[in-house]
Amino acid sequence: MKDYQTHVFTSTYTADVSGVCSAMYELGGMSIIHDPSGCNSTYSTHDEPRWFDGKSLMFISGLDEMTAVLGDDEVIIKNVTAAAADLKPKFITLCGGSIPHIIAFDFKGTAHLIEKRCGVPVLPVATDGLKSYISGVGMAFTEWIKRFADEKTTKSSALSVNLMGVTPLDFSINGNVEKMKETFEKAGIKVNCCAAMGESFENMQKLYAAHVNVVVSSAGRRPARFMEKTNGIPRVEGLPVGADETEKLMAAIKEAAESGKNQIVYDESLEHEDWEIPGDGILVIGEEVFALSLADAINCLPESERHGLKAYAIWPDIDEGLPEEQLMKAVKSSKIVIADPLYKVIPRDKAIRFIDFPHEAYSGRIYRKQIPVFATDEFDVAGFIK
Amino acid sequence: MDGKEFQYIKDMKYEYNADDGLAYASPVRGVWNIVHIGTLVPGGHQIFVCPTSCLRGVVLTTAEMGRMDKLSTITVGEDNIIEGNMEEQLLHGTERIIEELPERPKMIMVFISCIHHFLAVNYQRIYKILRKEYPDIDFIDAYMNPIMRRTAPVVPVLWRQMTRPFNKPESWKKDQVNYLGNCFTYGPEYCDLTALLNKNGIKTLEANNVKTYDEYMSMQDSEVNFVFHNTGEKAAKDLEIRNNVKWLRMHPGYDYDVLEKDLCEAAELVGIEAPSKEWFENERKLTDDAIAETKALLGDTAVALDYTAVDFPLELAEFLLSRGFNVEAVFVDAITESQERFDRLKRMKPELKMYGTIGWNIRQMDRMHDGKIVCIGQKSAYFMDSNNFVNVIENAGMCGFSGIRHLMELIREAYNEEKPMRELVSIKGWGCSCV
Repeated sequence: MKDYQTHVFTSTYTADVSGVCSAMYELGGMSIIHDPSGCNSTYSTHDEPRWFDGKSLMFISGLDEMTAVLGDDEVIIKNVTAAAADLKPKFITLCGGSIPHIIAFDFKGTAHLIEKRCGVPVLPVATDGLKSYISGVGMAFTEWIKRFADEKTTKSSALSVNLMGVTPLDFSINGNVEKMKETFEKAGIKVNCCAAMGESFENMQKLYAAHVNVVVSSAGRRPARFMEKTNGIPRVEGLPVGADETEKLMAAIKEAAESGKNQIVYDESLEHEDWEIPGDGILVIGEEVFALSLADAINCLPESERHGLKAYAIWPDIDEGLPEEQLMKAVKSSKIVIADPLYKVIPRDKAIRFIDFPHEAYSGRIYRKQIPVFATDEFDVAGFIK
Repeated sequence: MDGKEFQYIKDMKYEYNADDGLAYASPVRGVWNIVHIGTLVPGGHQIFVCPTSCLRGVVLTTAEMGRMDKLSTITVGEDNIIEGNMEEQLLHGTERIIEELPERPKMIMVFISCIHHFLAVNYQRIYKILRKEYPDIDFIDAYMNPIMRRTAPVVPVLWRQMTRPFNKPESWKKDQVNYLGNCFTYGPEYCDLTALLNKNGIKTLEANNVKTYDEYMSMQDSEVNFVFHNTGEKAAKDLEIRNNVKWLRMHPGYDYDVLEKDLCEAAELVGIEAPSKEWFENERKLTDDAIAETKALLGDTAVALDYTAVDFPLELAEFLLSRGFNVEAVFVDAITESQERFDRLKRMKPELKMYGTIGWNIRQMDRMHDGKIVCIGQKSAYFMDSNNFVNVIENAGMCGFSGIRHLMELIREAYNEEKPMRELVSIKGWGCSCV
């Protein structure tokens, strides 16, 4: 039986609550984490690179023992209503950590009561603090789309896409997003919405104008599925990491737009079964779409440019994270490991080459300056692993 | 914003230690958290047992210190909640950690979290088993449960728990005393008490100046504990009850009479001669001179100060105002000083701006100040957007006349030289000796 929970050496991915706040950060709302304390300072110091200069709103409810025991929701309702009266946000997002989860806090009911009292739309996002940011980002975007996106928006005349699941947790603030958009535009595909970095609330309302949703992070899968269900918009999963992967992605988008069928760009056989990967290869550890896309991009290179090795990917489970023993086994059996520098704490043979690929959702701000601009056709995959 | 981010003190009502509820967290933390403190124990290891959302902060704080070798984690998952197997998970997880660590820890602090209290986890049973299984390791039950912050705040509780392995010795070592609850070493340069003790051949032991676990444990042989911050009081009281260790609360403030009284009481407690009247008179004069020099340099330059830099921000504000400084703002989240002081301050400067750094309205304030402002503390520097600031937290080892003189020196330095504020205030756990 795998032990997903004990981590002797390794760090942890950021949690669902930070994912919610990150997703909603630029949309003019006010995010509330219902929790005793702590989650907000983690978000503001480690998980949100835009926090220092920005004025976006995120607060913690400051739940205490007696309020939790008595189930006194009036406290949060009153406080949020008072804050909304002062700050006048466009909307409010209400999510929560583990204590609201175990005391069966009624997110939907409380959201309704707050909305009734202050007249500001409130999105209930029933996070539990137990899952990864992928879950939080996905849930928050889905709730936002349900409430605010205009399903009747006319489709754009030219082929256009939405980039789904874009937050600094996966893309940082180092120019990745701008380069990614540029890559699509260069290929003649219009970016309708980048959900949600660099977009206004009003732009985001036009999400349904796109022909295809591109899931560039697994965080975008849930809202993309929702839009597929409600409006038939097909989704393509992939990331433009380097020229080859970009070419495949653009072809898949065109195919999806024509056929209306979902597409997956990367080689699906790279998906691991039960955390087992064949040894003696290149191991990419990271967010699912990124790790699979980069591994796929490496495998597209001529053998001589990838040291005669095949690349594989491992990514954390949304609910459970990574089982450390299996992860260590995978690291130790690989020749090259591409991962966040914090994974270097895993005891390993010095013969294993480690290539740093910092990931904000794993190491936060620690290695931010070293995060490469990777979501572009210009990313030199061969040069990176040389 | 329409000025709701602050209140003039004249418009405020005194309320002791009020809890704000809905809270904002600025990117500047200032004070240390429990991970920084736990990391101080040489040979110690910390295991945090909590849900992902709670783990993230402590793990990254440790990673940022480059001390992941001192921390492991056990995540609480949905399965544990449903199946009720948290005790087993805690036991087996800790066993695996001990077996896999390259070096056997001398002490393990197991931090459980809010969720354990609500699910009635019998963690003491697990510690009992672990103590039996690994008799060479001191297991400490530690807590990261901010939901209990009103009745059992996490930092003082941790300082107390860290001293739990201390037993009553057969005889006291007369040449040493302990300082409990200090993040920074209170050295002889800026702490009158340490200078006096050292002069009398008595060394001071604290979690941040011991080098080995044996030295850490030798703190149990001290007959007297001194406490400089509220955070150390629980530890001192606990050791008094368990081991009959005498203790004294020092007041790292700015009232000369109190400083004098503290030092004399401390000398009496340890059994050494108190400083002479002439010594005190000289210290008072030297300190007055340092203050006058600082005032002459600053002139009418605005000054702001905050609770992360000093333990008694209102007392410091009152002190500086009484010496002619232009104190314009105080950043304090909860008032923990007396109503008399608050009222005096109100009379001295009714237009004093009082900022709460976790109130929701401060988020959208324009972080700036018209003209030069010298800030004492990281939070005030952030909110006033000032590079002229004194970069200290939690008194930084300053106590007594020499402490005040050093603070004046730092204020003069802050006035004369700009610092890279953004870079400095972003460091979590500034000055942590473990980094």
